[in-house]
Amino acid sequence: MTNLPDTKLPDTQLSDSVVANANEPRGMDDVHKNEEFDVEINGTLGKPFVDNAKMSSRKCDVFYGDKQAIFDVNIDIAQNEILAMIGPSGCGKSTYLRVLNRMNDTIPICRVTGEHKLDGEDIYAKEMDPVLLRARVGMVFQKPNPFPKSIYDNVAYGAKLHGLTNNRSELDDLVEKSLTRAGLWKEVKDDLQKPGTGLSGGQQQRLCIARTIAVDPEVILMDEPTSALDPIATALIEELMTELSAKYTIAIVTHSMQQAARVSNRTAYFHLGKLVEVNDTDKIFTTPEHQLTENYITGRFG
Amino acid sequence: MTQTTYENTDKIRAGLKKRYARERRFRFYGLMAIAISFLFLLVLLVNIISTGYPAFQQSYVKLDVKIDPAVLGVSKDATRDELFKANYARLIKKTLNDMFPGVKGRKQKRALKQLVSKSAAYELRDKVVENPSLIGTTQSFWFLAKDDVDVFMKGKIDRSLPESDRRIKDYQLKWIDKLMAEGRLEKRFNTTFFTAGDSREPEQAGIKGALVGSFLTMLVTMSLSFPIGVLAAVYLEEFAPQNNRWVDIIEININNLAAVPSIVFGLLGLAVFIAFFGVPRSSPLIGGLVLTLMTLPTIIIASRAAIKSVPPSIREAALGLGASKVQTTFGHVVPLAMPGILTGTIIGMAQALGETAPLLMIGMVAFVADIPHSILDPSTVMPVQIYLWSDSPERAFTERTSAAIMVLLAFLVVMNFMAVLLRKKFERKW
Repeated sequence: MTNLPDTKLPDTQLSDSVVANANEPRGMDDVHKNEEFDVEINGTLGKPFVDNAKMSSRKCDVFYGDKQAIFDVNIDIAQNEILAMIGPSGCGKSTYLRVLNRMNDTIPICRVTGEHKLDGEDIYAKEMDPVLLRARVGMVFQKPNPFPKSIYDNVAYGAKLHGLTNNRSELDDLVEKSLTRAGLWKEVKDDLQKPGTGLSGGQQQRLCIARTIAVDPEVILMDEPTSALDPIATALIEELMTELSAKYTIAIVTHSMQQAARVSNRTAYFHLGKLVEVNDTDKIFTTPEHQLTENYITGRFG
Repeated sequence: MTQTTYENTDKIRAGLKKRYARERRFRFYGLMAIAISFLFLLVLLVNIISTGYPAFQQSYVKLDVKIDPAVLGVSKDATRDELFKANYARLIKKTLNDMFPGVKGRKQKRALKQLVSKSAAYELRDKVVENPSLIGTTQSFWFLAKDDVDVFMKGKIDRSLPESDRRIKDYQLKWIDKLMAEGRLEKRFNTTFFTAGDSREPEQAGIKGALVGSFLTMLVTMSLSFPIGVLAAVYLEEFAPQNNRWVDIIEININNLAAVPSIVFGLLGLAVFIAFFGVPRSSPLIGGLVLTLMTLPTIIIASRAAIKSVPPSIREAALGLGASKVQTTFGHVVPLAMPGILTGTIIGMAQALGETAPLLMIGMVAFVADIPHSILDPSTVMPVQIYLWSDSPERAFTERTSAAIMVLLAFLVVMNFMAVLLRKKFERKW
């Protein structure tokens, strides 16, 4: 019953031969004209694995019904790093992000295989409670989605849910701390009882970030958090990400290559459900190893 | 290129007039539709109110009764039980005979007795039983006038008609004129209408039995259909497996049930609840059960639509913070869907309130004079009461029928108003 329009369902047959995504008809034309597009993708280039992995995936396949959306993704996310995931629309980067906190569980036809670990624990194991996992791996969505409640209640919701505070004053402190860390406290400290939905788009997104960090997760997943925002709000949130990475491990999906270049330590390039290349961000943007990566970052398609 | 653009501009300009004309025409049609429905509503209301409002007044007759123990057939120090069984009708009759001496013939004597309602004797009895010291004294009482007198008082009987065409004969007119001249006949607010149950005598008939019956029936319907309907909708929308054959079958059946004629639910109630489970017939409980069956599909369908319209981003937000499925559903989805759920519920309840057909099958059309005190007492409901009164030959029931319709409409308005208040309370923007 849960139809999640935000989820990028692959709507073309994703077979091993390259078929373009119907989401972007213009891109499809480009793809067919581009001969270099038919390059083989054999495994992942660059350095997908790290020593201090916070989360890791091996042999990750994701299926929507009969259609395969992600093919054999192997990658580590290092402690306290910001990993950016880039790639053309429908390449599976959002789908992969949702694998990491089992958000795909909410889509009945979605099936995830492979081995996924958080601090060495299998997150798809029977013993792993998705509620606990999502408390440890928080998520910020593409469209700001504050609850239609007051700003205070929005931030306090997670803490109340998990019983993180013992009394009202602790909760007040937590709300203030979270809003301060999300850079929103000064703007809303007098309006805590006003509805969160009355804020501007950028403020709403920072409210969502405050709501996520109020639970104090270990990892924050961000699914194109700035795609609905103006450049000033985007700059604020990018700044925030850099600050947050001191404490949290962050994985961010973005459509903006400039954003990936600005905020991330490492960048992963996805193409049609496959992880093509992962490397330090400056290497990806200066000396990409794979032809497809180069084509994408130089703006020849995407 | 520029030339083409100019051509287009001309084309658009040429079409503009037609477009605006169409818009104006459409607006006119809309206004007409509203005006026509408003006119019909107005005609209906004016008709009902003009026929119904006299029912809120009732004629009373003042009699000076000498409470003579000899006429009553009791001794001065009679027990409570003896007083209860005494012949008060005779006392009333004697009082009237004393007031209008020289009435001859059985027919006229009977007519004289029928100046006041039969209830006068019972009223007198209650007063005397309550206060035995009244015996031997002369007291003034206001008694209910008989329906024919009442109808005449309200100007529904034309004095100028020939006597044979009137329900009130010349000798009766003389009595009425005398009573009026002495100030012993006047119209007052009809409290009986709101405090009594049904009766064969129009002047004693009241709406309270049906009102309480409707209220209890609605209570049963509401307390069963709302939780069951909402939970069913929540399960089907949020928890049921997708693309499951059984779920599909249930969905189709719910949609079909919404279109089943209501009398069929009455038959079902008769067969299942009364014949099999032995629920007492004519009771608000059985009425409520049958109306629950009828209301459930409406509530389920409306609730599902409301739940479906809650943006999925809210579910994701809650799940992403680590709320469980049940916490997400009952903490966020259901409260946000509540305005829509309440709208569906009120539509279903309004339908149930006005329903007569299924109740015919389960004995709720019976003549019930008592006011029900629990959901197991025999009772009737307002639409059925209206139907029964509209079928009665007495002239005075005509206005009571319309008055009962007014009470039913008022009940409905109160119900809708409460729903609007609740909806306001739950309404939030996102």
